[in-house]
Amino acid sequence: MKRVSLGEFEEIVLLTVMLLEGNAYGVTIMHQIIEQTGRSVRLNQVHASLQRLEDKGMIKSKMSAPTNERGGRRKRLFTITFYGQKTLEEIQAVRANLWGMISGLKNS
Amino acid sequence: MEQKQIPQPPAWAKKLLRLYCDPRFLEEVEGDLEEEFLYQCNKASVSKARWDYSRSVLGFIKPFANRKKSNLVSPMLSNHFKISFRQLMKNKTFSFINISGLTLGFLCFILLTLYVHDELSFDLFHKDSSRIYRVLQHEKMDDGVMRHVATTAALVGPEAAAQFPEIESSLRISSIGRLTMGNDPANRGYEVITITDPNIFSFFDFPLLAGDPKTALVPPDVIVVSESLARKYFGTADVLGKRMWTSIVRNDKPVEFTISGVMKDFPKNSFIQFDVIFSDSSWPSMFPWYQDLISSDWVSNTYLTFLKLRDPATQHSVEPGITQLVKDHYPATRAFKSEFTLQPLSDIHLNSANIQDSDAAPNGMNPFYLYMFAGIGFLLLLIACLNYMNLSTAAALKRTREIGTRKTLGAQRMQLITQFITDSVVLSAIALVLALIIIQIILPAVNQFTDKELALTSLPLAWAAGILGVLFIAAILAALYPAFITARMTPADALKKEIRVGNSRLPLRKMLVVAQFTISIIMISSTLVIYEQLDYLRNKDIGIETENLVVIDINSGRLRRNFESIKAEFGSPSEVISVSTSTRVPGEWKSFPVATVRPQGEPIGKEMIYVGVDNDFLTTYDIKLKEGRNFNTGPADSTKVILTELAVKQLGLTNPVGQIVEIPTVRWGGSIEALENVFRAEVVGVVEDFHFESLRTDMKPIIFVAPNTPVQRIDYYTLKVKTNNWPGVIEKLQAINNTIDPENPLEYTFLDTRFEGFYKADAQRGQIFLVFSLVVVLIACMGLFALVSFAVETRVKEIGIRKVLGASVHNIVGMISKEFLMLIMIACLLAVPVAYLFMQQWLRDFAYRISPGIGVFVLAGLIIGLIAAITIGLRTIRAASVNPVKSLRSE
Repeated sequence: MKRVSLGEFEEIVLLTVMLLEGNAYGVTIMHQIIEQTGRSVRLNQVHASLQRLEDKGMIKSKMSAPTNERGGRRKRLFTITFYGQKTLEEIQAVRANLWGMISGLKNS
Repeated sequence: MEQKQIPQPPAWAKKLLRLYCDPRFLEEVEGDLEEEFLYQCNKASVSKARWDYSRSVLGFIKPFANRKKSNLVSPMLSNHFKISFRQLMKNKTFSFINISGLTLGFLCFILLTLYVHDELSFDLFHKDSSRIYRVLQHEKMDDGVMRHVATTAALVGPEAAAQFPEIESSLRISSIGRLTMGNDPANRGYEVITITDPNIFSFFDFPLLAGDPKTALVPPDVIVVSESLARKYFGTADVLGKRMWTSIVRNDKPVEFTISGVMKDFPKNSFIQFDVIFSDSSWPSMFPWYQDLISSDWVSNTYLTFLKLRDPATQHSVEPGITQLVKDHYPATRAFKSEFTLQPLSDIHLNSANIQDSDAAPNGMNPFYLYMFAGIGFLLLLIACLNYMNLSTAAALKRTREIGTRKTLGAQRMQLITQFITDSVVLSAIALVLALIIIQIILPAVNQFTDKELALTSLPLAWAAGILGVLFIAAILAALYPAFITARMTPADALKKEIRVGNSRLPLRKMLVVAQFTISIIMISSTLVIYEQLDYLRNKDIGIETENLVVIDINSGRLRRNFESIKAEFGSPSEVISVSTSTRVPGEWKSFPVATVRPQGEPIGKEMIYVGVDNDFLTTYDIKLKEGRNFNTGPADSTKVILTELAVKQLGLTNPVGQIVEIPTVRWGGSIEALENVFRAEVVGVVEDFHFESLRTDMKPIIFVAPNTPVQRIDYYTLKVKTNNWPGVIEKLQAINNTIDPENPLEYTFLDTRFEGFYKADAQRGQIFLVFSLVVVLIACMGLFALVSFAVETRVKEIGIRKVLGASVHNIVGMISKEFLMLIMIACLLAVPVAYLFMQQWLRDFAYRISPGIGVFVLAGLIIGLIAAITIGLRTIRAASVNPVKSLRSE
């Protein structure tokens, strides 16, 4: 099996992309992360992370239609790929498994 | 419309982003940034939004910049750079020597370029500088000598400007002595009186900080002062409209001038330097003769006259016109024997050596020194590059394995050469950055020392590019020699490290060392000669006593009247041995009159320095009477004169005492004045010769007359003082001065300091030479050290075997040192004649000079020899004392 390498921040970004399904682009992702985690995040960090995720094939992107906002500039909208979703699920599973073992240990 | 009210992100950040960002991502990134910017503007504040925007843009550099692939750096070239840096790190000693040598060389080269540029840029900051000329008068004297004068009569400038359409405007500047200034009697000083036409601020580009440049000098009784003068007397530069007390008297009252303008201090690279300008229209009311002068003068030499031409090409057609103009207006009673020419403004600073009255250019510079400094700059660069060549050749021979490998793997000659050039360029770049940093640090000290305003930023782009070009070419040339040597090697030889590096293979590198040391010896011996000459000037007996003499300047009528009683007052402190008064003093710093003196009845006379003195002058200055008698007290001797022996000789008098001499004319600087009646006087005494001026000029004959003759009034008191408590004496003298004249402060100088001042510029040049000599020697020694270490390293085994076979440390050091010391000897032989010729040229500037003997050169050779021997010894002794087991055991 291919080793899944996903940084902690990447994981959060990936989750946020999934959460914002359809409206996930730099600014919304950043705001969502700030809201949910309370950390101070800058756009460039988000973008760097998105780039890495795209390189890894976990998300894919397409340019939106131009609107009147942002001086007519288009947005790059991200959606999670099947591989990305799979990876998140795997991580989730591994963790749940571990937690289960921990609680089993405590209960016994 | 609305767009304008919307806050904008910082423009620089936007530009930066566009500069580096991959165009494929630019749109979304810009869009996101802007959206967030507006969001922050609403939520937090505009400043926070701008801050975030900038931070993010900087942050984007990391993920996005490298996406913009550049084709500039090919993989091969980046490999070259990599190897260069590795090489630097590997041979730390070599790199250190190499970089410091290059840094020193670059540093000196850039500094000297700054200096030379500054000298060449004099007066070029005026926007019309290429169209401004100074009028020169060339007059043929009775004795056939041409006299060049930088000043003209009052009407030459304005009339020429009115007559000739080629001339756009004219400007006159005249400095006519000094006055006391300052509202507070406790804070008064003496300032030079400069009068100019009111258009000076439009003619030249001297900016006014306050006041109207057009009208500031139009009304009478106004002055324009420099910022520093304002600070000196008022403590602030905000002095517009304030009034200022001066010692000029009109209707028996001191005149107060109103400050109508404050000018920025003149740049240091302006030949025109003054602190206060008086309006031309103030003068006639104070001195009636001035009206005459400005309305009818075609003869005198009073004004520096500047003309601004519409087109510089018309210079030579205007010149004869001016000559004709003056000729037409010249008084019929006087013969017109002059010619007028125009001197470009940019020429004045460097080309006014034989021009009288050019003392408005106190910072004038002999172009000889300029060439010299430029020469030193290039020599230093050359030496630094030779050093680099030498070191990198040595280092290259150690890199043979790398080169062999490259060759085996199919490297082309050109690639190897590129590697060496890359090395050299990388090293030079490091050295250049270091040099620039050091220059920034030491520039303030350099400016202090040279009294200039040098700055890296003052260099025009072309010069900066020139420097970079020269350094770059030097770096490439320096790399070529080692590059070709190694490129010639066959791969097999290179890999086996079997390059013959015996004596026969190194003639060029030895020649380089010889060249370096030749230059070193030239510099050292020149420095020695300069110091010897300065020493000679300082210690030469000039025929009078200069120590313990205090000269008091007479600046007011109160100090001038009744000089006998004032002499008695200044003589009252017990420390004062004698007091004398005179019109001029030896070491004179103002212009002094030169009289034409002839024996009675002869038509042609000789020029002599004309000094009015009292009967105490000879004793105060320790001048010995040879024949006849001193002046008597009282007015009886007003038609008697005393001559120096030289004067007697030049007049051809055999029995001088009792003879009559005649003085028909007196010359003041450039102006010749005929006396109303020829002054006839009887010679009563002859004194020993002495030097009135600096030793740059020949000794001149002197004629002494009684004080307060029609030609000149007394201007100085000279006090001979014997004391250990100078401040106490000066205080006493100040108190005496205050009782005589409470309005004007005491102005005094020490005569020995004054004479010392004559050679200040030479002493400074001596120090500059010393510094650069040390740099040259240092660089040369680095080169020698490297060469010796290389020679030693290639002979480690040989030294080991010799030691095993019984050679002592002594033998081995001698064996290796011998050949290097030979090089130094050769350098000596080459250097001596060059240094000798060079110094002869320099000494020509002095009428009294040493003739440098062989001793100086022997000394220079010995110094260099010693330094070289120490350098060689340091390295060879270490090598020779290594235990042979160590050197032979490897392999």
